[in-house]
Amino acid sequence: MPEVLSAPLVVEFPFTRSLGPVQSAFLTGLRERTVLGVRTSDGRTLVPPVEYDPATAEELRDLVEVAATGTVTTWAWNPSPRRGQPLERPFAWVLVRLDGADTALLHALDAPGPDAVRTGMRVRVRWAPERAGAITDIACFEPYESESAGEPSPHTGEFNAPVTGIVAPARLDYTYSPGRAQAGYIEALADHRTVGERCPVCRKVYVPPRGACPTCGVATDERVEVGPAGTVTTYCIVNIKAKNLDIEVPYVYAHIALDGADLALHGRIGGIPYDQVRMGLRVEPVWTEGGRHPDHYRPTGEPDADYDTYKELI
Amino acid sequence: MSKEPVAVVGIGQTKHVAARHDVSIAGLVREAAQRALDDATLTWADIDAVVIGKAPDFFEGLMMPELYLADALGAVGKPMLRVHTAGSVGGSTALVAANLVAARVHGTVLTLAFEKQSESNAMWGLSLPIPFQQPLLAGAGGFFAPHVRAYMRRTGAPDTVGSLVAYKDRRNALLNPYAHLHERDITLEKVQASPMLWDPIRYSETCPSSDGACAMVLTDRAGAARSPHPPAWVHGGAMRSEPTLFAGKDFVSPRAGKDCAADVYRQAGIADPRREIDAVEMYVPFSWYEPMWLENLGFAAEGEGWKLTESGVTELDGDLPVNPSGGVLSTNPIGASGMIRFAEAALQVRGRAGEHQVEGARRALGHAYGGGSQFFSMWLVGSEPPSR
Repeated sequence: MPEVLSAPLVVEFPFTRSLGPVQSAFLTGLRERTVLGVRTSDGRTLVPPVEYDPATAEELRDLVEVAATGTVTTWAWNPSPRRGQPLERPFAWVLVRLDGADTALLHALDAPGPDAVRTGMRVRVRWAPERAGAITDIACFEPYESESAGEPSPHTGEFNAPVTGIVAPARLDYTYSPGRAQAGYIEALADHRTVGERCPVCRKVYVPPRGACPTCGVATDERVEVGPAGTVTTYCIVNIKAKNLDIEVPYVYAHIALDGADLALHGRIGGIPYDQVRMGLRVEPVWTEGGRHPDHYRPTGEPDADYDTYKELI
Repeated sequence: MSKEPVAVVGIGQTKHVAARHDVSIAGLVREAAQRALDDATLTWADIDAVVIGKAPDFFEGLMMPELYLADALGAVGKPMLRVHTAGSVGGSTALVAANLVAARVHGTVLTLAFEKQSESNAMWGLSLPIPFQQPLLAGAGGFFAPHVRAYMRRTGAPDTVGSLVAYKDRRNALLNPYAHLHERDITLEKVQASPMLWDPIRYSETCPSSDGACAMVLTDRAGAARSPHPPAWVHGGAMRSEPTLFAGKDFVSPRAGKDCAADVYRQAGIADPRREIDAVEMYVPFSWYEPMWLENLGFAAEGEGWKLTESGVTELDGDLPVNPSGGVLSTNPIGASGMIRFAEAALQVRGRAGEHQVEGARRALGHAYGGGSQFFSMWLVGSEPPSR
């Protein structure tokens, strides 16, 4: 049994978000140590505020200020915080109904242990020392005995230098395993060989192999070595430099049907001026030291393939 | 039991632009949905279910739009579904909504698709660094440009055809107040002189990157009878899919597209699409896909699609206007682009397309595709109710 290949795959991107009027006021308010909610037409106060009433679908724009003190409505102890969570030490996730609000806000409560947390306990906002207009401007909540403050007060939602957008970084950590067929393909590439698999029903050879034929829906396991030479079936000339790619433009990006393969793979053509590449050009792989894949393909010098020999592959 | 006839009674779009920094995603979809309700003179309470679609999650970083957007779309307490088929999603989303009405599951359904390309990076979303795999070398245009070259080789089309499509669509967009690109000084010479990005595709032959949303209200016969404006009636709708890559795939004219069109024409009783269809909104992200899809959708024989384009048949005043709205070439919020095609087809047969109205349009085709020509969805709408 060959070793199963696997490797980490981290998918990470700093997505941006425009806030719109309500979230802009809410987050800018936090920067100014002010918690804003929004009033519905039937007189409820929603904190955090939303743009549209969940009950009636009405647009909501009537902002109010609520207190920084409130009551825990329910909670769960988090014994082992993960990266990016509000506190590094164990804490309680809490829903807090701030005084003046009719709904509860999710945040962290700094408490020594689960015995110190109970539904109905009084808490207050602990403001972060540096605030930028984000939910993290509330560092966390902390236990605080106080009388419930009164009614919410109207607020314009207007501040100097309002925050209008945020960055919402997303990150997903995967472990990627290419599977049996792909692993065999990758191992062969290390010897500068290209292998595919033949479908037992339609007899087509898949390169790279997928372990199954998508047309016939059956497993493939007959390994077939293809190439090394092949035919350019079609191509384009790339004139714009892509980020993260250290290739001088213009260059030719081609579909190459390796001899014996029934579909083309993609590669760059070198060793010939870009404007002399043509459909039917015969090419072979060029390897560089330590490369997992061919660096590019170059002309073999053979006569061009006749269109009829590859027209079914485009 | 026969199907319930489905009518489009409300259509709403945002003004598509490069960046809508003034609204949240919730605010963006709300704008389109409210306009669709206004068009139908309905309120949120009149809607029985909501069906939404958007681009792939990594394109926009919004993983659960059905959760986040329920209150903005008045879906609380109602069924809410999300559909997911890459670039064709706007079309498939509308078809799922139409099927709910046709099956009499719901009487009136709001359907909506959107994307805010300005808050994400679709190219990043398309090129995740999968371990052991060779990175994609060419970007989205580079993926499609070789297929365009294959089309040119196969048909002998002159290399100017793509620029004719771009010039036409950008001029049509000038008549559509919702279109993103309004290039008032566009000329054919400018299109032909624009930089070659992925030879044979020039800059002016590629779609823009847009923020926008599109919504429709679909309803049954009773709902249509209450509509203040003429409805568009759904005469046929179908979806097909096939793998992005497989041995024997025809990249120039994918079988899934042909089969999907044939199914729609069969449902609608169309024998000769070229003669019986008055306007087409097809998904053309790169100009050359117009002649390619003209063949794939049965409007021209194989190898002949470019002749329709070249002879002016697909112009707004031609015999078979294609993309009177300006098309994807002028407006591309990816997740919404398919629904915009479907909605524009409906606007045409309702006679409500404004300055880009095709005179007397009675039957129109809306078409969307996505992935690497992997998903296809289409509908045929008419000004009269289906006769069967």
